[in-house]
Amino acid sequence: MKNGKIGSALAAATYSLLGTLPAPPAVAEESGRWDLDTALMYYSEGDDRVQDVSLGILAKRSFDDDRVLNLDLTVDTLTGASPSGATALGAAQTFTRPSGKGTYTTPAGAIPLDDSFLDTRVALGVGWTQPLARLYTLSAGLGFSTEYDYTHLGANLSLARDFNQRNTTVSAGLAYSMDDIDPVGGAPLPLSAMADVGDLSNRRGTDSKDVLDLLLGVTQVINRTTIVRLNYSYSDASGYLTDPYKILSLVDPLTGDTLGRSPAPGTEGPSGVYLFESRPDTRAKHALFGEVKKFLGGKVLDVSYRFMTDDWGIDSHTVEGKLRWPIGDSMFIEPQLRYYTQTAADFYQVSLLSGEPLPLYASADSRLSDMDAITVGVKFGWTTPSSNEWSARLAYYSQTGNVDGSQLIGSQNDFKQYPDMDAVIVQFGYRFRL
Amino acid sequence: MATAPCRTQLEQRPGHWLGRFDAMASPCEVLVETDSEQEARAVLEAVAGCAWRIEAKYSRYRDGNVVHAINSSAGRPIRVDDETADLLDFAAQLHQLSDGLFDVTSGVLRRAWRFDGGQQLPDAELIKQLLPLVGWHRTAWRRPTFRMEPGMQVDFGGFGKEYAVDQAAASARALTTGSCLVNLGGDLAVARPRRDGSAWQVGVEAAGAAPGQAATLIPLRSGALATSGDAHRYLLRDGRRYTHILDPRTGWPVEDAPRSVTVVADTCTQAGMLTTLAMLQGRQAEAFLRDEGVRAWVQR
Repeated sequence: MKNGKIGSALAAATYSLLGTLPAPPAVAEESGRWDLDTALMYYSEGDDRVQDVSLGILAKRSFDDDRVLNLDLTVDTLTGASPSGATALGAAQTFTRPSGKGTYTTPAGAIPLDDSFLDTRVALGVGWTQPLARLYTLSAGLGFSTEYDYTHLGANLSLARDFNQRNTTVSAGLAYSMDDIDPVGGAPLPLSAMADVGDLSNRRGTDSKDVLDLLLGVTQVINRTTIVRLNYSYSDASGYLTDPYKILSLVDPLTGDTLGRSPAPGTEGPSGVYLFESRPDTRAKHALFGEVKKFLGGKVLDVSYRFMTDDWGIDSHTVEGKLRWPIGDSMFIEPQLRYYTQTAADFYQVSLLSGEPLPLYASADSRLSDMDAITVGVKFGWTTPSSNEWSARLAYYSQTGNVDGSQLIGSQNDFKQYPDMDAVIVQFGYRFRL
Repeated sequence: MATAPCRTQLEQRPGHWLGRFDAMASPCEVLVETDSEQEARAVLEAVAGCAWRIEAKYSRYRDGNVVHAINSSAGRPIRVDDETADLLDFAAQLHQLSDGLFDVTSGVLRRAWRFDGGQQLPDAELIKQLLPLVGWHRTAWRRPTFRMEPGMQVDFGGFGKEYAVDQAAASARALTTGSCLVNLGGDLAVARPRRDGSAWQVGVEAAGAAPGQAATLIPLRSGALATSGDAHRYLLRDGRRYTHILDPRTGWPVEDAPRSVTVVADTCTQAGMLTTLAMLQGRQAEAFLRDEGVRAWVQR
């Protein structure tokens, strides 16, 4: 036999056999390992709308005594067009870009889409979890993200306590975030009219919002195969909650057509009267979430329901079901189904009527309207002999709006006014250890 | 597949649960530091299930498993699953690391040797006849296909139990946040240190000791421990003790091997290989262990 040490070669051979580093090693008092979870996601809406490519890395390091460090990094790039809120019209419509530099034109009969979207977002998070006393677990985290027109800074803290021989866990959490919004071209004054190219007289500088979240949760192990989770959350947002890029058409109350306008001589500008939206500067949400996870002889069924209500008048229900079905020892297939429905915000309206006093709040943002969405997907996973996991997910998302017929006037009925949307989501994941 | 409830037993002890079952012809134990009986039972079932699975898959005493398929391949190439391929990779690396001393094909020599404490030495001619059937270099291993000469035998017994300990400890670790000690017939691993940082006290029976006789107590906070010994497996002839550790190159027992070697290492597989390699060193066992710098107990 070779002279001297075979220990390290033996260790390497053993680790490759067992597919993992021993945790924790025999001698070292404290040592950990990194668990890395990486994901690449492609999201693509039909009709050349939003496309998003996102790369995420979640790194988790466990230390002795159940202390865990979490680091996550997400980078995503968004391109494409999204509905501006203006109504479809029997003639082409021209709009000033959000930057105030240049215009874009929507053909007759089409729902206006603002194609100026191009953004890259980088998000970083760090979290720490550790037992506090025998039955308590404390978690704390900080998050930061930045994109072209938006900066987010958040902090969270939560405490969990185990009861009933650790079959019951009760947790309470608090999160606070401060976001700065620096819209392209400046934040427009609410309900001011879209101006000609180069005219930024109705723009203000930056704005901000604060969000406070409270979370109460109970997780109960019912028996060896069933876990139930119940959460209540409260979220209070205040500050600038308006979308600076969304507009409403000001229309003739009889014909439904957008009022026309001409740009100042020698300049380009909007072909009609469009007002920037206005939302309340506070929003309080209550949400209830229930989930049942059941192990059925190797299969895992996960069913959840979420109810959300807020003081903007939006109520939403989400029902989701997943069934993880093993194929042999190392693979699984998981069909997923999700249904979402929401009522419209009180101040949602398709358009603003000329000659009537302007409301305090108004938005034609399709995300605030009455709508349903369904997601159908399937995830496939494969665990390598060394316990690393590959996964691939393919999902189809379809969103359908229900615009209240009484809101549509005259010619607005001739065109589809709600931007229904289909999207495809493709996701690849790889989880491994270092 | 339902498991008959009588195959495992669980009882509460101060500060932990003790589960018992039999696997690999040995009494096995699992200690789980938890308040929850359900959690302890889940760990016990997972550990026992893991041990039984590996035993069923790799026991050379059973028909119809992968070892049987390889050993009855009669020179034909056999395509093996990933886990078996990992074990063959490991066997290949250990053969190389040990310069041929450790060889998973040496099992055929048992046809000549009976280590039952008796006196019967084998016929030297028989050993000579068997030697051409021994030797990893006579196999062709190219993942995932394995082939060997007709008549050769593969046996994962040299590290199968230790491998099962590590796999069982890993499955236990996934099911409990508490400390857990897996003991398969004296080869054991600690899945996670105890909450108060104290060590599990592991008793290692002295070779040849009567049952109940004082054992060496080894405190183990984390990591694993394995023992290789010939307490009951040796051959006495003319005052000479022949251990069951055979040198695959000569077909004869290693001379002057210790009666038992116990090693502490990060994983049970490493600990087990270090004990086996130390035994194979014969008189140099202690020097080998010293050079490796591991915590070890040698009994002569």
